[in-house]
Amino acid sequence: MDCIITIDINTSAVKIAAYDLAGRLMAFRKGSFSILYPQADHSEQDPEQVFITVLFVLKDLVREQILPSNHNIISIVFSASMHSVLPIDSRGNPLGNAIIWADNRAKNEADFIKKSANANSIYENTGTPIHAMSPLAKIAWIKNIQPERFRKTSKFISIKEYIIYQFTNQYVIDYSMASATGLFNIKEKRWEQDSLDISELKTTQFSDYVSVFNADLKLKPGLAKSLQLPKNTKIIIGSTDGCLATLGSGVFGEGQATISISHTGAVRVAGKKVIKDKENRFFNYILDEETYISGGPTNNAGVVLEWFASSFRNHPSIVDFEDAVEDLFKEATLVKSGSNGLLFLPYLLGERAPIWNSNARGSYFGINIKHQPKHFLRATIEGIIFEIYSIGKILEMYRKIDKLYLTGKYASLPICAGIIADVFGKQVIVSDEAENVNKGAALLGMIDAGVFKNLEEAAKSITVKNVYEPVAENNDTYQKLFDIFQRLTNKLSEEFEMIEKLQ
Amino acid sequence: MNYFSLTKGKSEEISSWPHVFEFSKMKIQSVKADSFLMEENQGVTFMYVLDGKYYWTIENQTFTVFPNDLVVVFPGQLFGSLTGTFEVGTFVSLRLDVDFQDQSELRLGDWSNITESERRLISQIISQKDQSIIPNFKLFGELASKIESEIFANEVGYKTKINNLLDDIWICTARQMSKNENQGRIFPQTFHRLDQMLRENLSHPWTVEEMAATIGLGTTTFTEKVKAFSGFPPLNYLINLRISEAIRLLKNSDRSLTDIALDTGFYSSQHFSTTFKKLTGYTPGHFRKNN
Repeated sequence: MDCIITIDINTSAVKIAAYDLAGRLMAFRKGSFSILYPQADHSEQDPEQVFITVLFVLKDLVREQILPSNHNIISIVFSASMHSVLPIDSRGNPLGNAIIWADNRAKNEADFIKKSANANSIYENTGTPIHAMSPLAKIAWIKNIQPERFRKTSKFISIKEYIIYQFTNQYVIDYSMASATGLFNIKEKRWEQDSLDISELKTTQFSDYVSVFNADLKLKPGLAKSLQLPKNTKIIIGSTDGCLATLGSGVFGEGQATISISHTGAVRVAGKKVIKDKENRFFNYILDEETYISGGPTNNAGVVLEWFASSFRNHPSIVDFEDAVEDLFKEATLVKSGSNGLLFLPYLLGERAPIWNSNARGSYFGINIKHQPKHFLRATIEGIIFEIYSIGKILEMYRKIDKLYLTGKYASLPICAGIIADVFGKQVIVSDEAENVNKGAALLGMIDAGVFKNLEEAAKSITVKNVYEPVAENNDTYQKLFDIFQRLTNKLSEEFEMIEKLQ
Repeated sequence: MNYFSLTKGKSEEISSWPHVFEFSKMKIQSVKADSFLMEENQGVTFMYVLDGKYYWTIENQTFTVFPNDLVVVFPGQLFGSLTGTFEVGTFVSLRLDVDFQDQSELRLGDWSNITESERRLISQIISQKDQSIIPNFKLFGELASKIESEIFANEVGYKTKINNLLDDIWICTARQMSKNENQGRIFPQTFHRLDQMLRENLSHPWTVEEMAATIGLGTTTFTEKVKAFSGFPPLNYLINLRISEAIRLLKNSDRSLTDIALDTGFYSSQHFSTTFKKLTGYTPGHFRKNN
């Protein structure tokens, strides 16, 4: 039986899944690597470790699960996190570690670019909000702070391009990944001159851009042999985790939006047109030639739950994060919706959408003498979802949203899904797919294999597992609280600045 | 109970161990002014409380120390009591001549039998910041009283025995610290610490038991947790790190393959070559040429 292998390289792990041409998951394996934090505001990845982990996991999966059942691998489709920057020298050797999306070192460069005369046109043309996460700002940081490294750099690539280079000896970047760099014109599909000018870059310092369906790359023969892959295995370049999670959760048409809650969170919609937001709050990334994925990311999702679990709960022994968070959700059911009027602003890590303020900080508001630890717990969860809602609400100014599709390991927990339905007052759908990003990549492979005509048809193949209906009474409570949530966030912007200076 | 205060150069009893600056068991019955001023610590000092309650300050942080708690002070740290006095009570103090200026490099001296690579590991564990106090560490009390009886009994082999006990103190302190550090933590945090420790000691001949002990878990639980979290059994995860570092060295240095093999923890260039090829499809030599 023919099968497609999908490789998703995210911030802390590589997930490899094989699907048959009917889209059924046949094998899955993951391998983790560490995020390195050499100093405050710095988050990095070791490119060699990522590469070795990909090889190790792929090799095990092929040898132990694919070959014994006589499946025939027809293609490999790639996906990865956005925004990473890896400078390489003329021999293709990494100059240091890759700087990943969570890295905040380029704050000043981002502010500087934001204040420049063509900031608005750069945002509009590239689709990427100007922020420390953006490779545009990161490369400017390298130029300013590490001129020697900048000078030695022959190309600025992402972790995904590095891995693809190891597989094929070619430097190529897909439209999705390029559109998340702040350096790529998403309308004309070419490198954006205004962005290049900021750090005096040339187009030759970047990979060649191609469609997400591009399958011209050839697997290195030596690697094919050691991985026991057929020599003619197609390498499909694929897209990014954000775009593919949206597709893989079945969101493509009007009225649909994806909510993702894992370490971070996001609300996304798909459409034929970009969203033009005057306040530059939303991203517009390219999925294919006709489709943009638009939306807003939040820093403060699962990571806040982890903070709560490790700071305020005593664990008898070493526990897994997932188990700890699941326990939190169970405990939260002991408190009614709205946490008896206790409200939480979740800005522990500053915030991206919708306020784009790195200095924002968290806060509990409305504490009275009857509030107990369990109320704080529920308020924490609700605060995270209010933040997601605040993104969704502004997105609704541009797009109709009737149904929400969940992805990410926490969003689809039943209690979380219920709260999301109640806060938004909308129907929430959890798909049958455990790994939406890999599934999205598989859909690209299936289109390439001729199973589907286009993305729309592919997205429709995703099946529903559970549907959560909103409870009107809870929605009413949440609407009142959310009003206060928004007022507080707006009012506190000066105080955020002040307190940040003391930290 | 016997009380004593032995110091190097003054007390004949400890002259056989020139690396011991001080070993004493003191009972404080009345508070004396200026008996414990803040001073720069010489060598590494272990202070273990037997009775009473003390407020000791290391650098800018004051610790409340109860019976069975151990305080470890490193060379150069400001140590003493802000009141300048010892409160009423009983404590053991052991001060060793150890060079620990560069916090990651604990230089014990020829008397110690701890192997080079284990010494580095121990240095790393105990040099973790904010680990100046180890609460409820009765084992230290037992080791200290063994040293005491060896010093005063002078039985056959006592010179060696005391050095062995001093080694024991380092080992047990490191073990206890790593246990404390990881108790109640969420596994990813623990894993991150292990990852850092492995990276910094790639050439150490790690065993699974040792890794597990470093983060205070039993071998079976440890292996399961690592597998579930990282997708790899512990030794395979370590191989990932080793090969990654080897790739970096192959690309960015002219070092010989044997040197790279040994630096990254492979026991021979043959072992390195086989493992490398199995994973990447190329031998290290071939890989280097291709780059």
